[in-house]
Amino acid sequence: MKTSLPPTRSNSAAPAAPSRKNAMTEEQTPAPAVVAGTAPARLDVSHLAKSYGTGDKAKTIIEDLTFTVAVGEVVCIVGPSGVGKTTLLKCLAGLHPATSGRASIDGRVINGPPPEMALVFQDYNRSLMPWLTVRKNLVLPLRHLHLSAQELKERCDSALAAVGLEHAESQYPWQLSGGMQQRVAIARALAYRPEILIMDEPFASVDAQTRFDLEDLCLKIRRDFNMTILVVTHDIDEAVYLADRVVVLGSKPARVLRIVDIELPTVRDQISTRALPEFARQRTEVLSLIKRPA
Amino acid sequence: MKFRPKPLITSVAGILAAIVLWQLIAVGPAADSPLPPASAVAESLGTVLGTSLFWSDLAATVGIALLGLGTAALAGVVLGILVGSFEPFRYATLAVLEFLKPIPPIVILPLIVLVLGPTGQMSWVLVFFGCVLPIIMQTVDGVHDTDPVARDTARSYGLKEPEILARVVLPSAMPFIGTAMRVAAPAALVITVVAGLLGGGPGLGRSIYQAQAAGDYPTLYALVAVLGVLGLLFQGATRLVEGKLLHWHESFREAAHA
Amino acid sequence: MNRKALHWILGAGTPVLLLALWWIASEQSTSAFFPPLRVILERFQALWLFEHFQSDVLLSLRNLLLGYGVASVAGIALGFVIALVPVARQILEPLIHFLRGIPPVALVPIFISLIGFGIEMRVASIALASLFPTMIATVDGIRSVDPGLKDVARVYRFTTTEKTFRVYLPAAGPQIFSGLQVGLQVAFIVMIASEMLGSSQGIGAMTILAQQSFMTADMWAGILLLGVIGFAANLIFDLIRRRVLAWYIGSRKLARAA
Repeated sequence: MKTSLPPTRSNSAAPAAPSRKNAMTEEQTPAPAVVAGTAPARLDVSHLAKSYGTGDKAKTIIEDLTFTVAVGEVVCIVGPSGVGKTTLLKCLAGLHPATSGRASIDGRVINGPPPEMALVFQDYNRSLMPWLTVRKNLVLPLRHLHLSAQELKERCDSALAAVGLEHAESQYPWQLSGGMQQRVAIARALAYRPEILIMDEPFASVDAQTRFDLEDLCLKIRRDFNMTILVVTHDIDEAVYLADRVVVLGSKPARVLRIVDIELPTVRDQISTRALPEFARQRTEVLSLIKRPA
Repeated sequence: MKFRPKPLITSVAGILAAIVLWQLIAVGPAADSPLPPASAVAESLGTVLGTSLFWSDLAATVGIALLGLGTAALAGVVLGILVGSFEPFRYATLAVLEFLKPIPPIVILPLIVLVLGPTGQMSWVLVFFGCVLPIIMQTVDGVHDTDPVARDTARSYGLKEPEILARVVLPSAMPFIGTAMRVAAPAALVITVVAGLLGGGPGLGRSIYQAQAAGDYPTLYALVAVLGVLGLLFQGATRLVEGKLLHWHESFREAAHA
Repeated sequence: MNRKALHWILGAGTPVLLLALWWIASEQSTSAFFPPLRVILERFQALWLFEHFQSDVLLSLRNLLLGYGVASVAGIALGFVIALVPVARQILEPLIHFLRGIPPVALVPIFISLIGFGIEMRVASIALASLFPTMIATVDGIRSVDPGLKDVARVYRFTTTEKTFRVYLPAAGPQIFSGLQVGLQVAFIVMIASEMLGSSQGIGAMTILAQQSFMTADMWAGILLLGVIGFAANLIFDLIRRRVLAWYIGSRKLARAA
């Protein structure tokens, strides 16, 4: 996969989204150097709970979740399948209201889809508009931002270049392979220039090689755009490889078992990073948490 | 579309409100117009249901529709299997069938009435022509959809061609034929009414024409309401029969028509 | 290649052959019902291309387009409201189902009783009858829009207009188009029926009047013209559908090949 970004976007010291007006963000220039835990919390989840139904039939999906994500940080959420990770993301994205507790961005409680957030869905084939070409899929969410034609083109071009799909811009999503479709979904999120990117099992249904490419793409986005990224996955290796911190969830209902700080170098590489003894130690740590009987 | 039991109250209220609204308009602002009040229609519905003429009309309508549908199904399936099984036949008839398909039977109504007069036979012929084409075309598609492996297997076991048609080809075309019947059954009723209304064939269609011509508007509305109920019954009955006959084909049909 | 050429010859040759057979067989015909094809075509030319082109042919087509156009726009708009506003759905759905059960042609006498035999009656009958298929298909289409796409629209904060015209409308497009296609057929049938029932203008009226006065060749010419219009209308519709739904047809083809 090609990974050339326009030089203007490659400086992590630049504001995360210079062209977007944002009334809610207090710090207009995020800290350039990001160290887990020391940067200001961007996303704050505090005692979040979610249940469906009422009375005797109430089903609690999420019991009590508390964690934070700092500016420019990559946090992975892992847990057994069916633990309610997608429900959590839908609460964070403002699609579902929380039953109690709260999630907030820069201190403002999320009660609808926040403007500075983009979401990459698990089902790529159900999240792209099949009647639009790849480029038009990218343009659609940008329409109501009233950008200039120049800016619109620049954003789409750079997003397509970032995922290596310049050649596919006039094709329809259903003409592309699964991995390519997921890259289109990621490109759509990139063109939106969110400050916070949330991804739900984004690489679950692509082949192993594409998966490695997409993981590296994710790290590159963080580096180049200083984006705050939250990834839900059930793949522990992936979580350890990607994350600054891993939030380990236990079931049922979902609660935080432990938050593991990943002590790996900031610059990572699929071959050498995964070969580090530290990598093996931390993946074992996370795995044993999940495997441990509740 | 399914009804859910919970909003039943709103639905019943909706129907009642419509009837009350109708009554108020007919009695109030439209008192001088030909629109009869709902009460008058209900009254004449009661009267009409008590006449033997109505019941013989109903029997004629349903009888002609079913007869036309039955004969069209029989002829359509036989012709469809023949046309579908022999490639030259299929190509020879393709253009003709494609041309005739979008032409509704009402177009040939003047000709049929001219030849057969305002009779039950006329209505039946019209229903037959209206239903037979879609059934033929769906059957041809169904035959074409038969798994060639199943066909070859049957042949290798020494089954004769007529046996293969009856035991392999016909069953696999069944879901297609079922779909065709689901469309054709309500159409058969509609065509019977059209034949009565425009061609003078026996049944409810003719009675509606006579009520309109005589200016007996309450009866006209009552008969149209009866047709509405009859139409719903036809649709429901078709779905029921199809479900009973083809429940084992459900997934197949989904795949074939997705 | 040879086989393909044969199929082509069969496909194109059969209609030509049938027409030629009709011409030859009917040439010496003295039957009151089946005049020579030559005479029919002469009458076709004289009637429809000259004498009655403006007064009847254009009039019929204008009524058809006007009624169908109104029904299509209103059907889609009402479908949106019913699908997206739960109260509207609960109130209107049973009513709609009942009205749908009525054969569309049976609505014509009611409109005649209300507004007479004029052009308004014909356009109104066409519009109301062809409203239902489009509306019902739109409701079904919108209700089956993928929840994934709805989530995307919310996360990216689409405006209501964007949701309506850029997500719901295209997503429901395939179903809306199949409703529109049925609506077109219904509109065509009701156009003919509204003209046959006591009007003196329009292709349908001319055809039935010719039949009643035993001008058989004129009647045949009318049937021929109606057949051609029915076929052409469907053909044009299909071309538009293929253009608008190219994405859908392409993706289905790909899914089936996989």
